[in-house]
Amino acid sequence: MRRDLHFPWHQYALIVGLAERLNDRKRCHGTYPQFGKTALQKLVYLLQEAYNVNCGYDFSLYTYGPFTSELLQDLDLVDSVGGVEVRPVRKGIDGYHIVPHDNAAWVKAQARAFLTENKGALGKLIEEFGHYSAKELEIRATMIYVEREMKRDSKPVSLDGLARVVHDIKPYFPKDEIKSVAEELQAKGHVEVAS
Amino acid sequence: MAETFEIRDPIHGFIELDDWERQIVDHPHFQRLRRIRQLGLTEMLYPGAVHTRFEHSLGVMHVATRMFDAIVRRQREFLREKYDFTDGGFERDRRIVRLAALLHDVGHPPFSHAGETELMPKDGEGRRYKHENYSAAIVASLMRDAIEEHSLNQNHEIKAQDVADFLEGKSTVGRRLFWRHLVSGQMDADRADYLLRDSHHIGVAYGHYDLGRLLTTLTAIEDPETGSPALAVEEGGLHAAEGLIIARYMMFTQVYFHHTRRAYDHHLVEAIRQLLAESQGVFPPPIDKQSLKEYLKWDDWYVVGRLTARDGGANGAIILNRRHDRRVYETPERLEREDLQRLDTVREALDDKVSFEDRPQKSWYALGSTDIPIVRRTGQEQEVVTRLSERSTVVGGLKAVNQRRIYSTLEQQEDCRKIVAQVLSRQESVG
Repeated sequence: MRRDLHFPWHQYALIVGLAERLNDRKRCHGTYPQFGKTALQKLVYLLQEAYNVNCGYDFSLYTYGPFTSELLQDLDLVDSVGGVEVRPVRKGIDGYHIVPHDNAAWVKAQARAFLTENKGALGKLIEEFGHYSAKELEIRATMIYVEREMKRDSKPVSLDGLARVVHDIKPYFPKDEIKSVAEELQAKGHVEVAS
Repeated sequence: MAETFEIRDPIHGFIELDDWERQIVDHPHFQRLRRIRQLGLTEMLYPGAVHTRFEHSLGVMHVATRMFDAIVRRQREFLREKYDFTDGGFERDRRIVRLAALLHDVGHPPFSHAGETELMPKDGEGRRYKHENYSAAIVASLMRDAIEEHSLNQNHEIKAQDVADFLEGKSTVGRRLFWRHLVSGQMDADRADYLLRDSHHIGVAYGHYDLGRLLTTLTAIEDPETGSPALAVEEGGLHAAEGLIIARYMMFTQVYFHHTRRAYDHHLVEAIRQLLAESQGVFPPPIDKQSLKEYLKWDDWYVVGRLTARDGGANGAIILNRRHDRRVYETPERLEREDLQRLDTVREALDDKVSFEDRPQKSWYALGSTDIPIVRRTGQEQEVVTRLSERSTVVGGLKAVNQRRIYSTLEQQEDCRKIVAQVLSRQESVG
């Protein structure tokens, strides 16, 4: 039996697409944070869960929020074929900046249909979440992860209950900040809680 | 004081258990791990690779405990003050870490990872179950009594569900998610054990690194980027951590991704798929006790019995006779655009002579939030935190392997190699 192991071009093209959009934003609005590896993880998670775009990744929860090593493998491949360049930009923490590179258009062309179909969702993602720092993305992605898990386990989800679980995972975030993030995500329709 | 028992181990010397843990080890579902080889059919290539998940699981419990103790010894006050851990909580957490480490592989399919992925059924959202989901389900249901009913659990009141949630990384685990890095993370006890153990049994030196030094320098810090607690290594352990990452790279490229081993993974999957024909080619899902019991019948012994009875079809026969498919073309480990185009040309030229394609793909070291912090303490208890990838040019330069390989049957390999040589020579002359 012949098995073809196809290339997940939509995943590679997504990485290029995010890098292009976020670097454009950073050029236009200097205050935008750099697009690094932590932001990539959280934004792809949000795209998949908050905007229902099937990106094909399976995230697990860690203290630093939802994470999948498969995404980093794909980033390495996109880097090696010249879709993006991963530049070390400064010493210390998350010192990498993902920018589009010479073969960006070629990589995107392999998954044109996927990018066209999800253009609107990508635009909304950048609009709503693109300006957040890695830490701000982490708390939001964690909140959505917890809400989805509670629903999957058929647990009732209230605003206070959600904030309590997230605070137990991240006791170093002030309770009122967690609560206001929960309210923000509820107002945007990304989490549904019982009144 | 609870009575303890020792099991002799080729890597760690003696591994200690108490009566509670011994009863869990004696449970039939844990004993099944004696019948799951750690490295699938790697023995077709490295004859010594016949060790099992049983001894590995004991080793992971042992190493996870040493890691836990090292961190608490060094950073007890920090974890209490910064993240609200308590002394009573530490004791209970240590128990949960030991149980989770011991049981983390109890849900492995036959022949370990070879039987995973394509043979796993999908959940309601279309995602394939992983062995971790089976481990958690087995712990929470079939092994519940063994975990909850022992007298040594009276002080802790640990529920089987606590261990299962820890294994799956559920949000209900709360701040204890930090300890999950010891079982599933960049420097976890699983890797720490299997690298040494696999090297020992196979007879290679690739997986060796300095576990002792790593343990004496392992610590916990506040991640400067996210504020979350993070596993870190003190300055003195920089090269031990570097050694662990390099050992993993070497073991994957030299052993786990060896082209012959990968061929047997393929034949095994196809043979088991045939054995599973009545259930659409996938294992029973981990959704209730009955399905789990059905799943647990599948171990290496059962599969080998069926293959020996000639139930495994053509792929089963290939395994029995060691007449595996041969690699006739492979790309470089790190693909560039031209490599992808060349691969397409070769594949087209080989056409129906291709028996299967393989995709060894692995990242050795995850950067970003997971990049191991290296901490240097200066005079007034101040910490300077850097990252391993920044301090080690070797680790910083390690790129993921993203290779593609094309295989043909043994009978067609010579024809295929000639075709590949012609294609490549034509390309060279054009280039």
